[in-house]
Amino acid sequence: MRILLVEDDPDLGPAIARALRAEHCAVDLIASGIDAQHLGDTERYDAAVLDLGLPDRDGTAVLRGWREGGRGLPVLILTARDGWSDKVAGFKAGADDFLTKPFRIEELTMRLRALVRRAAGHGATRLTCGPLAFESQTGVFELDGLPVRLTALEWRVLSALMLAKDAVIERLDLMERVYEGDADVDSNSLEVIIGRLRKKIGASLIETVRGRGYRLTDGTA
Amino acid sequence: MRMPRSIHGRMLALSVVTTLIALLVSGFAIGGVLDRFVTHNVDQRLGDRLMLLGAIVRKDGTIDRALLDRMTVETAFAADAAWRIDAPGGAIGGAMLRGMVVRSDRDGTMPLGPVAPPGDRRRPPGPGGPFEALLIDGTRVHGRADIVPTDAGPVRIAVAVPRRTIDQPLRSAMLPLLATLAIVGIVLAAATLVQLRLGLRPLRTLRDRMVEIRSGRARSVPEDQPDELRPLAVELNALVRDNDAALATARASAANLAHALKTPVATLALDLSGDPRGGQVARIDATIRHHLSRARNAAVDRRAATPLAPAIDDLVAVVRALHRGSAVTVDVAVPPVVVAIDAADLDELVGNLLDNAARHARSRVAVSARRDGAMVVLEITDDGPGITAADRDRATAPGVRLDERGDGHGFGLAIARDLAGLYGGSLKLAEAPGGGLVARVALPAV
Repeated sequence: MRILLVEDDPDLGPAIARALRAEHCAVDLIASGIDAQHLGDTERYDAAVLDLGLPDRDGTAVLRGWREGGRGLPVLILTARDGWSDKVAGFKAGADDFLTKPFRIEELTMRLRALVRRAAGHGATRLTCGPLAFESQTGVFELDGLPVRLTALEWRVLSALMLAKDAVIERLDLMERVYEGDADVDSNSLEVIIGRLRKKIGASLIETVRGRGYRLTDGTA
Repeated sequence: MRMPRSIHGRMLALSVVTTLIALLVSGFAIGGVLDRFVTHNVDQRLGDRLMLLGAIVRKDGTIDRALLDRMTVETAFAADAAWRIDAPGGAIGGAMLRGMVVRSDRDGTMPLGPVAPPGDRRRPPGPGGPFEALLIDGTRVHGRADIVPTDAGPVRIAVAVPRRTIDQPLRSAMLPLLATLAIVGIVLAAATLVQLRLGLRPLRTLRDRMVEIRSGRARSVPEDQPDELRPLAVELNALVRDNDAALATARASAANLAHALKTPVATLALDLSGDPRGGQVARIDATIRHHLSRARNAAVDRRAATPLAPAIDDLVAVVRALHRGSAVTVDVAVPPVVVAIDAADLDELVGNLLDNAARHARSRVAVSARRDGAMVVLEITDDGPGITAADRDRATAPGVRLDERGDGHGFGLAIARDLAGLYGGSLKLAEAPGGGLVARVALPAV
């Protein structure tokens, strides 16, 4: 799960990024509205956390820019403006969720997970694939009812495959959802992660589609 | 003397005083003219008689009695006038009115008495000069006197008529004059009243428009006013605009303060998550929210007019999005009514109530509104567990501080209650038929 975090406060931004990374998310932290606009237009994110009071371009304008450009990524507005009129304006600009500061980090991650799950087309919070289950609200994977211990990178790959269950995820697409924008990526590392995951949950669940990417199947399809 | 407090009273008093002065002055002036006119006529007649009497004084200082007898018979000379001729040696002829005797006169020259001996310093009446005198029986007379030089010395001739000869025609002329002046005075007073009523009407109209501004039915007074009032209307409108600008500034300042404080508080909350000191952050947040809502409330704009239905639709969309995870449905039935409350405050009021309802509802929230006289009554009903009667009273009791209430229903209800109160409305809580909570908000309609 790769998140675009747009927050100009020099203390709050890194604090949120740390907290989200602790929940296994890949986070690109941007302090500028114009940069955020550009990144949202060009990079692939599972969701964006958007502050409204940005120094160079208002968050509402950034959001409107994305929507007018046809970008449908889920956007959660995280702002100090706690008036209901601000909420109305935010949703009218195309926001999917709205959280006011101060907030509990658990609530932010929960809402982000819900946004990503719904964007992937899943109504239920618990997703299953054969013996594998994903409790999307808490981010816990279970194999045959027992929790699976995963590293951050493994969790990102597996959650992406789980949300796209039964569909092929392009290799490049998967890379983009797993690594942060400034990460120094070894082209072989994705294969390494897939290999480790297969060891943990069983080789049959993750299918390699040659020349395209990967697919999570329950082995029956 | 203190001036009356009302302009109407002042102008009326001034007008009455000046009208009275003008009437008095013109009464005296016209009376004076009449007096001079009548007196002049009498004096002319007296002058004629003086000439006749002068003709009977002979060169040696005696009088021609034969001529006098003829004259008195022919002209009925003594019928209405007194006359007298004095030589230095004493009276040589005369007739008093009905035999009356001269007693005195105003300046002591006794023109009808003996002529002062030569060397007497008292001024004799000038030749032909008029005089006033009093007869022994108190009759006031008006006369003229003349000196005829003779060989025996100066002989003085005096002739007089009773004062009433002048006063009677004068009085009969003055009565219609005074009556006319009184009528003029009454007409002027009536004209003043009408003039004041018409002249002060623009002021009353202006005041009515100011009342409309304060009650929210108008945003400015018409500047199409009489010349004297136009500058006042222009200044009033400038004042109203300044007031609006100050309101906007106050609100912006409150919002800026929120942003400035909330981000660092959010950082602290994040750093302290899991730490017991996190409770302090929650208290800071509650304090900020409390004082911000008070700052917002201080900037209430009672002249606002906001259509209810579109605002409700927007807020319901927001609440649906915020509670997307839950299975609560929101039904809306709001007629097209306009309420006298600022759009942002209406959002705040209804948003908090809707959010409360959606959080506590089991499956359904219903929003309805109806016009009730001068008010619009908005009802937000949920099918949740409701709250006890005691808590309902507490949540809407006036004067209870916002941050003294816990989470849950409390904070949002208190904000809604305070906002409704500020706009002259009310918030009442009741038990819904199914056991949930009904929040009933009355707001002034436009």
